[in-house]
Amino acid sequence: MSANRWLSTGNYFTSYKEEQRIFATHLDRSVLLCFLAVLFAWPLLFEVSNKQMFVIDNIMIAMIAVVGLNLVTGFAGLISIGHAAFVGIGAYTIASFARLLGDTHMVLTHGWPALIVLAGFMGALFGAIAGLPAFRLKHLYLAIATLSFQMIFQWTINFMDFFDQGQTISVGRVFWVTGRVGRSDHYLFWYYVILVIIVLVGFGVRNLLRTKYGRCLVAVRDNDRAADAMGMHPGLTKVYAFALAGFLAGVAGALHAYLYRGVGIESFTLHHSINYLAMAIVGGLGTLSGSFWGPLAIKVLDMQVERLSEWTGGHLAVATNLATALKPLSFGLIIVLFLMFEPRGIANWWRIVRSYVKLWPFRY
Amino acid sequence: MTYLTVSDVTLTFGGLNALTDVNMDIEPGIITSIIGPNGAGKTSILNCISGFYHPSKGEIRYGRRSLTKASPHQVSNYGIARAFQNLELFSGLSVLDNLMLARHQNLNYSILHAVFYFGKAARLEAENRAYVEKVIDFMELEPYRKMMVGNLSYGVQKRVEVARALTLAPRLLLLDEPMAGMNIEEKEDIVRFILDLKKEWNITVVLVEHDLGVVMDISDQIYVLDFGMLIGKGTPDEVASNPKVIDAYIGEE
Ligand SMILES: Nc1ncnc2c1ncn2[C@@H]1O[C@H](COP(=O)(O)OP(=O)(O)OP(=O)(O)O)[C@@H](O)[C@H]1O
Ligand SMILES: [Mg+2]
Repeated sequence: MSANRWLSTGNYFTSYKEEQRIFATHLDRSVLLCFLAVLFAWPLLFEVSNKQMFVIDNIMIAMIAVVGLNLVTGFAGLISIGHAAFVGIGAYTIASFARLLGDTHMVLTHGWPALIVLAGFMGALFGAIAGLPAFRLKHLYLAIATLSFQMIFQWTINFMDFFDQGQTISVGRVFWVTGRVGRSDHYLFWYYVILVIIVLVGFGVRNLLRTKYGRCLVAVRDNDRAADAMGMHPGLTKVYAFALAGFLAGVAGALHAYLYRGVGIESFTLHHSINYLAMAIVGGLGTLSGSFWGPLAIKVLDMQVERLSEWTGGHLAVATNLATALKPLSFGLIIVLFLMFEPRGIANWWRIVRSYVKLWPFRY
Repeated sequence: MTYLTVSDVTLTFGGLNALTDVNMDIEPGIITSIIGPNGAGKTSILNCISGFYHPSKGEIRYGRRSLTKASPHQVSNYGIARAFQNLELFSGLSVLDNLMLARHQNLNYSILHAVFYFGKAARLEAENRAYVEKVIDFMELEPYRKMMVGNLSYGVQKRVEVARALTLAPRLLLLDEPMAGMNIEEKEDIVRFILDLKKEWNITVVLVEHDLGVVMDISDQIYVLDFGMLIGKGTPDEVASNPKVIDAYIGEE
């Protein structure tokens, strides 16, 4: 055993098993456990309005989706402009049960944990199908293929009577061991569900990334010829990357359906796909922590800009047009700025802060 | 078993022959070198063996298997590894991860094991890590273990390239100019590694190299290519006294 497992200075490993640990020191683990405890406890300690909780739930759902996008685009280097469509696949999996069985059927209201997992698998299935062009196409051509999947998805939903031509299909309130989750508890209830899923996803993906299932993603990104020579099928690996992304997107979509208690095409458009990409870029492509920072940063920015444009619109009638233009403008600007000045995203700032703290008490 | 035969291989790129009716027999347990002037087709023949190119004519057999139409991942799973002439490393990963990737096929745990990182996944990762460490020791890469490959010097990257091929635990190792661009000291290291591979690891080596001094010193068998055609073969002494080979090399100078 190493002599000191609290500080990273003076902490050494005597076996490869020890080195495999996610948390090099007890300190790392303690900090994370405290943070998780806070995440679970704070809604009980503070008064949170439903509106605020709704925003937080939304951010957290986006985090799950962006972890998926980051795996395919950040880690495996395959640009996907159709991620919202996979989220949509998850949501429409729930919607199809609502259409088939009625929106308050037992399956939907009691079997929701299973349905969320099923939605994930549907996302994975469609992800794999949409990823098939990766066998032949690369770079921009592959990106266009994902874009066309996005378009096909929107068109299909818009033309299907079964899905009400994309108009909202309602989904009933779910049941928990304490009975039906009512209006006042709805957002808090889903906060906890999403939080548990995020923790599972975070640990699962963190584990995945230190095994062959994670390394192979980076391998096809950095050099798919060499990946081939290492004995893996580059095409299949890419399809697997899309399936993985699709799984997480599908789970996010199902959560979206339950949180909004309805599914409509307007939440899964090209616009949303670009938004997810922006979140992944701003957070930091190819980092797990970036997938959490990105959605948070973009949503906060969104809200601030909205507030600003409301304010200017209220004071100056002529500025209304300007105010509406402000949102896409600032959005575009922030992506360009990040690509130019911090292509490694917010996750890089986080890394710097962490490594500074870690080396304490030494500067170097 | 480890017996590679290249028979009448022709490789054509848009009407131009990169290789014309090339025949080779690579015998087990020895060092075989392929030499020739620039553009002679040395890399092309390695590409044909390792599955990156498929010959337009002819056949390549490895033991009972045909490599003629095999893809690179199949060839590597048959026990043939390759170090590239132009670095083809995973530059965004550490040396350790680059080598661990070469263990991909040996890490046969399921994705569920990976997600929860229990049992088989943790055990196999540790076991294969031990193998990787053996290669790191052998190739003297200890100081660079955790460093990102893209940030290493050219000479070290070349060594990682060889190490990664070796981590595949091949029976046949194809090395494409592993000493190019190195100084004498670095070259001597690589020569030592290659000789140890033959003696201690019992690996059959196919070496493509421009440094004739080195080639003559360490090879058991030499093939000489020029303009895609085989112009000579034999022991170093036989090749050195072959008038066609002398012609090709003097013609180049
Ligand atoms: N993908 C390709 N497309 C077209 N021509 C090619 C291709 N690969 C190789 N060639 C041609 O085949 C011939 C042999 O190339 P090869 O790379 O095998 O030479 P080499 O002996 O390895 O040379 P060097 O010593 O410079 O590495 C060259 O004329 C080259 O231009
Ligand atoms: Mg060459």
